[in-house]
Amino acid sequence: MNDKLSAEAVLEDQELVAKFLQDTTLFLGPDPDIMRHHDIMPCTDYEAECVAKHGDPHQMASIRDRMQSACDESYEMLEQMGAAPGAKWGDVITGIYSASGDLTIGSAGGVLIFSVLVHHPIKFIIKNWIHEPTVGLKEGDGFIHNDSRYGNVHNTDQSMIMPIYHEGKLVCWVASTVHEGENGAIEPGGMPSMAETPFDEGLKMSPFKVVENYEIKKDLLTFLQNSVREPKLQYEDMKVKLFACMRLEKRIKEILALDGPDALTACMRSTNDNVKAEVRRRIAEWPDMTVRTYCTMDSTLRENALIKLNCTLTKKGDRLIFDLTGSSPEITNRAINTALPGAKGMIAQVFLNHIWPDLPRGQAAFAPIEFITPPCSIVDGSVNAPNSQSLMSIFLSFTVAQHATAKFLYSLPKKYTRVLAPWYNMISTYIWGGMNQHGEMLGNLCADLNGMGGGARMDMDGEHAMAPIFASMADIGEQEMNEEDVPFLQLVSKKMTTNTQAPGKYRGGMGYTQIVATKDSDQWGFMTTCVGSKAPPIQGLFGGYACGAYPLCKVEDVDVYDVMLTEPERFKHSIVETMNEQPYENAKYSSHHMGMGFSLSKRGELYMISQGSGGGYGDVLERDPALVIKDIEERLLTPDWARKLYKVAFDDETLIVDEEATAKLRADYREQRKKQGVPYAEFVKKHVQSEPPKDIPFYGSWNSDLSVVYAGSNDDKRDPQDPGPVYFTNPKDVEIAALESELEAIRKKTGILPRDNRK
Amino acid sequence: MKRISVDIGGTFTDCFLVWDNKYIETKALTTHQNLALGFNEAVEKAYQQLDLTMEDILSEVDSVRYATTLGTNALIEHKGPRIGMLVTAGFDSTVPLSRGRGYGEGLDKLGMANLPDARRPDPLVLPHMIEGVRERLDFEGKIVLPLDEKDVREKIRMLVDKGAQVIVICFVNSVVNPMNEKRVEEILLEEYPSHLLGAIPVILSHRVAGRKGEYVRASSAIVDGFLHSTMYYAMTQLEQNLRAHSYEKPMLVIHNSGGMAQLNSTDALQTIHSGPVSGISATEHLAKEAELGNVVSTDMGGTSYDIGIVVEGGIKHYDFNPVIDRWLVSVPMVHLVTLGAGGGSIASYDRMYETVAVGPRSAGSDPGPACYDRGGMHPTVTDADLVLGYLDADNYAGGDIPLNPKRSTFAIEETLCDELDVEVVEAAMMIKEKVDANMANGVNTELRSRGYDPENFTMVTYGGNGPLHCCGIASRLKINKILATPMSSVFSAVGAGNMHQMHIHETSLFLVLYDSTSRKVFDNYERFNDVVADLSSRGKADLLRQGIKADDILHSLELDMRYGNQLVQTTVVISKHTLDSALDVLNILDLFSTDYGKRFGEGSQAPEAGIRINTIRVASYVEHETVHFKHIKPVAEDQRIQPPKPSSTRECYFVGEDKAVETPVWNKQDIPPGTEIVGPGIVASDVTTYLIEKGWKYVSAEQGAVWFLRDEAKN
Repeated sequence: MNDKLSAEAVLEDQELVAKFLQDTTLFLGPDPDIMRHHDIMPCTDYEAECVAKHGDPHQMASIRDRMQSACDESYEMLEQMGAAPGAKWGDVITGIYSASGDLTIGSAGGVLIFSVLVHHPIKFIIKNWIHEPTVGLKEGDGFIHNDSRYGNVHNTDQSMIMPIYHEGKLVCWVASTVHEGENGAIEPGGMPSMAETPFDEGLKMSPFKVVENYEIKKDLLTFLQNSVREPKLQYEDMKVKLFACMRLEKRIKEILALDGPDALTACMRSTNDNVKAEVRRRIAEWPDMTVRTYCTMDSTLRENALIKLNCTLTKKGDRLIFDLTGSSPEITNRAINTALPGAKGMIAQVFLNHIWPDLPRGQAAFAPIEFITPPCSIVDGSVNAPNSQSLMSIFLSFTVAQHATAKFLYSLPKKYTRVLAPWYNMISTYIWGGMNQHGEMLGNLCADLNGMGGGARMDMDGEHAMAPIFASMADIGEQEMNEEDVPFLQLVSKKMTTNTQAPGKYRGGMGYTQIVATKDSDQWGFMTTCVGSKAPPIQGLFGGYACGAYPLCKVEDVDVYDVMLTEPERFKHSIVETMNEQPYENAKYSSHHMGMGFSLSKRGELYMISQGSGGGYGDVLERDPALVIKDIEERLLTPDWARKLYKVAFDDETLIVDEEATAKLRADYREQRKKQGVPYAEFVKKHVQSEPPKDIPFYGSWNSDLSVVYAGSNDDKRDPQDPGPVYFTNPKDVEIAALESELEAIRKKTGILPRDNRK
Repeated sequence: MKRISVDIGGTFTDCFLVWDNKYIETKALTTHQNLALGFNEAVEKAYQQLDLTMEDILSEVDSVRYATTLGTNALIEHKGPRIGMLVTAGFDSTVPLSRGRGYGEGLDKLGMANLPDARRPDPLVLPHMIEGVRERLDFEGKIVLPLDEKDVREKIRMLVDKGAQVIVICFVNSVVNPMNEKRVEEILLEEYPSHLLGAIPVILSHRVAGRKGEYVRASSAIVDGFLHSTMYYAMTQLEQNLRAHSYEKPMLVIHNSGGMAQLNSTDALQTIHSGPVSGISATEHLAKEAELGNVVSTDMGGTSYDIGIVVEGGIKHYDFNPVIDRWLVSVPMVHLVTLGAGGGSIASYDRMYETVAVGPRSAGSDPGPACYDRGGMHPTVTDADLVLGYLDADNYAGGDIPLNPKRSTFAIEETLCDELDVEVVEAAMMIKEKVDANMANGVNTELRSRGYDPENFTMVTYGGNGPLHCCGIASRLKINKILATPMSSVFSAVGAGNMHQMHIHETSLFLVLYDSTSRKVFDNYERFNDVVADLSSRGKADLLRQGIKADDILHSLELDMRYGNQLVQTTVVISKHTLDSALDVLNILDLFSTDYGKRFGEGSQAPEAGIRINTIRVASYVEHETVHFKHIKPVAEDQRIQPPKPSSTRECYFVGEDKAVETPVWNKQDIPPGTEIVGPGIVASDVTTYLIEKGWKYVSAEQGAVWFLRDEAKN
């Protein structure tokens, strides 16, 4: 009896303490219970009751079709009315979420990753704000959000979230999301690579109420406008997102009027349950096996480093498990980390765009897939790690998932689409900012980021510069339109880059060269944010090659616009010619990795980049010579390169293939390969090293040993489950230290005393 | 009035002859080798009815007008010349890359989403036939890199050496300053004068499309160049045929802008989709004559469902960047949406939702639905309609296509019944309901995304499957009135007979009406007025050249406007064509605000972000006499007559009925105007089947028109 009393007392104490702690919460930070969860919420009693009442698949299909139609309509509004370049080129999504916060239907167009990332802030609102007396929830409210630690990819994306009521009862939620660009970060354009802490990344909006009674609160709007470089954009797009939500609300109310809230709820629940069950069936069709793969990024965007993203993919029964153990620890003062949902979201896109494109865009399509991720890693960063450039790590997450899944899909009798080599995965474009020719302050990016080259397919080449990995029907835009708004010209806008595509039996789709120069502003600058200038960020498949490595080239101390008018013949429409021939006297020519921090540009200075290629598929010796010649004709390949790579013999003048000579070249090369071949054990002995090379700062696991991760040197080994923070020194401090060291040596040698003796 | 209008389709050449108060509809098979033969046959059938000769007819008609799908077909079949193209250097791959998204233009949603399967369509210009020319202008048309004439000559020679039969030129920002495109045209004529090799047709992009957007303008010029020869020869053949038969007036060609012009004032691009656009034009005329109010026109055929919008007040809905076949182009085309839903749409089992999916795959006409007995194994909408009893297996298409119901039953059973655990009739009903829902959703999205409510619309239906499915579609949209068109078998030709001669000229410009940074309202009225005057004079010159009197020429002024940096441009029709004061500017801003609010919701306007005009457009036109539809309105309820005895009855299945209903069937020719039939019922004609669903009435009118009125309808 006493024991029982004691147990009750303990329980009561625990409850009292829990209540005290809840009442005295200092700060409602990102909630792991929400953020680490990507499955759909458990079925509520009310949902079960509704599903039992409304079993007619016709009615459900009809409601679902109308919800889809509403999402597509509001998506069109966002794309048309949005002011951000991202909105214009499809970097948006709209969706309808269940009362518990699960996305049921997303717009058919737009960026897929949002379809699995906007439910987190809604669940935060449900958990924290509905019953909070100082916030509360009622019809006509709208919440804004952008902090990726509470959901979403990075804080350049802003969402508007609105609850939908029926006769005083919350029935569902709607949301609209746009990649806005500018967000007040330390660099313009919304994706600062200079950010060393989350507080350098600009606006960090946890979900908060910014709309009441369908009106944006002007005091909060003014605060937000005051916090960014583009107050006009902030205003326009908040309004646009609100009206897109209101349009969704209108359509849902039409469904409620016709079918009632129970039928709507039944439809949302059964849709999610049906899709999840279908995904399980499809996983079950895959062979039971494990595939291991990895990718590396070659910079932190500020300094060179080799950062590994490791993936072990196991399928057993109807379970599919991504284990990313062995990936690099987080880089605690660099912006390339991602919060876990970002990595998951990007992997969701592999499934929704590249494996099962017929599936509806909703959270359930990804719900059954499981994840194991090491804490405080590059793919599962802590809340203290900046992630404004999370694209770097999540794009590599995409690639390892795409590479690993291809090997499962190859052997399936029923395919939902083609098997392909990895898509190119970097946003090779210019982020820009400053004062434009009309006196407006802008900060955003070129739509060319959407021109990633497609991976080669099992039976055909990859498509050139077709779509980003995160969206279909994205747009690389029209320069004539862009030039009205920005003070720079793309002097080379779209010209295929030669000799840089990934070869194979089928080659990867290539990207294009872009050369830009500021023209009509003396307050303008650019930045670029890619890895892959030294080591390819993607792999080939089944013998196909990886893509090339693509640097940034600059020509400074020249006004090319003057040259173009006075000595026009000097201007070259090619990076190679410009860098090799160096046609402008006294100009400074340089090449860099693609992680260029925001840099003010003078009128007429050239910034030159090339987009990359999707991976190649299959052995180059199996490539049809006719396709090789076609590539030469289309200036994708030079004849010498074609010969070297593909072993094809042809006449330089007529491009007629000598079939016999080609067969011989290829047969000889196969013989040469055989001669170069060695037994596996011998190969391992000769090539496999027990540790990373000492002269490369390497991060992540080495070989197949996942019990240790390296953190920049062979002396710095860490526990993958508790790696602790990893800090880089500011590259300028590194440079200063190097210069000081050189100076010190000179002083010693010459006997010159330091200028400041106190030092 | 005496007039001939013709719609030359892929299969049939439809002819509509107006001879004073007689309206004659005839058809002949299209003769692709020489379109004049099919035309002559169709006209012969017409003049025989009048006991006249071809010469009698052609010497007296005020005009002969053609709408044609010739260009559309040539694009689909990829039949055209080898095009060489000159572009601004540095933009060499703009066309092949087709804005990235070009792989999916013209495809259904799955085709757009399926990236691993994506493949850009075979190009109209091969990549190695595109050469970059050293020149560059900025967004205001100022020279950045002067035109390198030596380079131009070299590149022209390269293209000609590679076999270019047409040269297309598209330079960046040529719409603001066309000097370089024009100079290259001169150089081309210097290098290759017509007496040397014969003239190579040269297409300058700024003449084909007046709006900014270097890709869409280039693709417009390419399509124009690709179709130029085909259209030129075919249309010239038609014109010569007319001349040979005593027709001395200019031949008129229907444009996809909703107007028409003489052959020599027509670009090939303007003729694409002119047939379906004529159908919408006929609907517009019908709406005026029958006082239908707002109308949504729907054309359901074997593979597609075309939707057009005609609203009261003369607001025109255009697509400025329509997709033609697989190509995104820049041309102001009457808005037309095509869904992949028709009689041939294939039904399949949707495992995920345990229901039926219909489309987007289609069995087309070959092999066609399973019941055609031509090897089709998949169940289609037509198979479901047959199983449900709506179609007469022995008299489908006037008996030309015998249907085999066993094939339909088998295909539905095999594909759907086991998975769904339903009987064949129930599965067929699910197919019918699904396709009706798909089309209703399409109409719904079309109307609502433009700020309209379907309940306030009348549906006009035509096409072979329209009258069978229209009640099912309209019920879902809460539309109470449907008009199955008069003269439905030649409806597009009727539309061509009612068009006005029109030329549209437009220009892109950067004109800020309200600058939110400097907080200034536009006051350079002269600049605006000069642009409008120039566009009007160009349109006037076009019409004067065609023999139109100056006094008959009218102009309509439209501005495409936007807030801040938005993508969307809202078209505002301005009645006062000059700006003389701040009040005029503010009136434009008010009009813009009103139209924008109607579309996106009142309060969504964002004038604080600034307001710009992106395009000024002037339509110059002359109004012609039009055809009148007689007694189209439904007769008053108390004057309607009872139907004759049905010719037969059939067992049909309807939504909401558990069992088969013994349904009366009439032949359309037995039903006089003014007859009311209460559904359920079926009226069959040689070209279509009118399905009267429960809750609907069939009311016949003159000239073959039929009304479907829902019980809720007021009249």
